[in-house]
Amino acid sequence: MAENQKQNYLTHPKGIMSWLLTLDHKRIGLMYLFGGIAFFFLGGVLALGMRLELAAPGNDFVSNDTYNNMYTLHGAIMIFLFIIPAIPGALGNILLPLMLGAKDVAFPRLNLASFYIYTVGALFVMYTIISGGVDTGWTFYTPYSTTSTSNVIPMTMGIFVIGFSSILTGLNFIATIHKMRIPGLTWYKLPLFVWALYGTSLVQITATPVIAITMVLLILERLLGIGIFDPALGGDPVLYQHFFWFYSHPAVYIMILPAFGIISEIIPVHSRKKVWGYKFIAFSTLSIAFIGFLVWGHHMFTSGQSVFSQIVFSFITYFVGIPTGVKIFSWMLTMYKGQVSFTPPMLYALSFLFLFTIGGLTGIFLGAVALDIHLHDTYFVVAHFHYVMQGGTIIAFLGGLHHWWPKSMGTMYNQTVANICCLGVFLGFNGTFFPQFLLGLRGMPRRYATYDQQYAELHNYSSFWSGILGLSIFISIMNLLWSLRKNNKLDPGTNPWGGMTLEWTHTTSPPHPHNFEEEPVLEHGPYDYDKVIVEPTFKK
Amino acid sequence: MSEHHITPLKTYLAVAGTLFFLTVVTVWVSYFDFGSFNIVIAMGVATLKASIVALFFMHLLWDDKKNLTMFVMSLMFLGIFITVTLLDTGFRGGVNSEVESPINNRAAFYDSLPLTDTHGHPVDEHSADHHGEGEDHH
Ligand code: HEM
Ligand SMILES: [Cu+2]
Repeated sequence: MAENQKQNYLTHPKGIMSWLLTLDHKRIGLMYLFGGIAFFFLGGVLALGMRLELAAPGNDFVSNDTYNNMYTLHGAIMIFLFIIPAIPGALGNILLPLMLGAKDVAFPRLNLASFYIYTVGALFVMYTIISGGVDTGWTFYTPYSTTSTSNVIPMTMGIFVIGFSSILTGLNFIATIHKMRIPGLTWYKLPLFVWALYGTSLVQITATPVIAITMVLLILERLLGIGIFDPALGGDPVLYQHFFWFYSHPAVYIMILPAFGIISEIIPVHSRKKVWGYKFIAFSTLSIAFIGFLVWGHHMFTSGQSVFSQIVFSFITYFVGIPTGVKIFSWMLTMYKGQVSFTPPMLYALSFLFLFTIGGLTGIFLGAVALDIHLHDTYFVVAHFHYVMQGGTIIAFLGGLHHWWPKSMGTMYNQTVANICCLGVFLGFNGTFFPQFLLGLRGMPRRYATYDQQYAELHNYSSFWSGILGLSIFISIMNLLWSLRKNNKLDPGTNPWGGMTLEWTHTTSPPHPHNFEEEPVLEHGPYDYDKVIVEPTFKK
Repeated sequence: MSEHHITPLKTYLAVAGTLFFLTVVTVWVSYFDFGSFNIVIAMGVATLKASIVALFFMHLLWDDKKNLTMFVMSLMFLGIFITVTLLDTGFRGGVNSEVESPINNRAAFYDSLPLTDTHGHPVDEHSADHHGEGEDHH
């Protein structure tokens, strides 16, 4: 037994091929993780480059054309290569089978295929960058994208390909959740992260085909001159926006739902309290996923769509606030009277609550059609979506990474450094993006390299804090990687936070190549802190 | 999961027969002009045929009902996409309602009232013309 326990998925089997051809969901998850972090770094460098340019009003470092390329690549890389694949692909892959008590996902080969499809898509994007970039913005609106002389086709091909990876992962997860649960693990005993992945997967398989079609139509129009979006050929440019946002609004839920799932795991564990309103959280996930399909037109309030649809979209958008609010209140009530410990994952979760609430509320402002006509395409929108995507998704991702790092890597990072970095991220983030709300209210448009003198002070402030933000994220990742040094292994039985779900109670850290030595038997629900005592154990 | 269903040949032939019959119906109705209902009828028959194919040839009728649910859901999402997009394209004119039916500053209602200037003082017919908005007839 002792010999057997020493085996873990990181060291067994050995050799580069055993990684490249692995069918183990944990290894595939790690490959996604490192791929995603590499793109996060690339996107981050582009972002800091833009903030440098924007520190002062003129064209100080880059030309307008270069700037257009920078924000397009920043947006496309962050969204399509990092945020969308990172949480489901990395944390979802590593954790889902462990949480279900399963040996692997339902279709391990398909899982590896998804990873390679993602890689192929990423190569297209890399090719685009090397061969001169694209300048249309991550939304590829027509007629820019049908007339721009930059490399629209390889970029959109890349997005088309990555879409399939997303669809296959979603399909795989749905099958896994339906079929691979151990006996007794009924729907209402599933960890909430699993519910979140389920909702995400549903959106992935229903919405992603539409972006694929959109990209194909765009390419067809560019290559063959088929009139779909160009009025001169009998098309309709606003139709492009319908297509694009019919995917991309649901896609923002592909980005945020897994983050909600992570927060629903971190908060009860680090407050040592049963989650409040389990069913509320679970069903609000599904209703967000559904309502998310009915609001896409709120991105098109100034595009010339009919007044009638503006009113309908504006009205339905408000409804998104309800399930989202339900979640926020459930998390707060979970912490209420709990034993909250200020560990790095918990600090990230608290930052999430604060930042995501600002992001979500400003989303409701933007959903009001009358207000949005003023705010559309200003920095107010830029601030809104960074509050939800970075303040929400990326903060939750970092929190989840810190929460499950000891589980998946078997090492513990320096918690003090991690806490300081989390504070740095929080301050740096607010310093960078809060001024952008003010800039937007005063009329500063997005996507310009230069600006009027009156905006200089706020821009300068934003640029300064973005440096702090970038540095903090960089150090926190380095802090995690530094824990992998020699002779820093934890005892395989470690459960550092006292988690109650199967991945903490029934597997070693890092887990065995086959996850569980034998099929686990469910002894309690995922958050039964009121009934069972699971002490945190922390041994070197 | 339910065990595999084996469909008797008779059912297949009956389904094929129905499909042929419906094809004849499609052709037959095309000889009549129902106005704007032409498209509705043609699509209705086509939908019926597609449903029969999905239910019998693709076994959705006998499979686990989850498969049917998925199939219907995907149609529902397509329906949402198309109908809601039509709310835009079908009502576009609304954006420029002022252009389509401009504000008439000589509406019939005002004809029954005495003419006034902007302060409400009565004015005579003749000078009133010059208050009209941008009417360039002099
Ligand atoms: C609480 C619910 C939310 C509401 C009501 C909402 C509403 C809106 C509205 C109305 C806009 C359009 C603003 C404009 O262009 O004038 C917008 C933009 C945006 N939102 Fe949200 N939002 C919400 C949550 C989210 C979440 C969770 C994410 C992503 C994780 C997100 C990502 C974005 C992005 C990326 C854009 C800008 C897209 C672009 O034009 O480049 N939003 N949001
Ligand atoms: Cu949206």
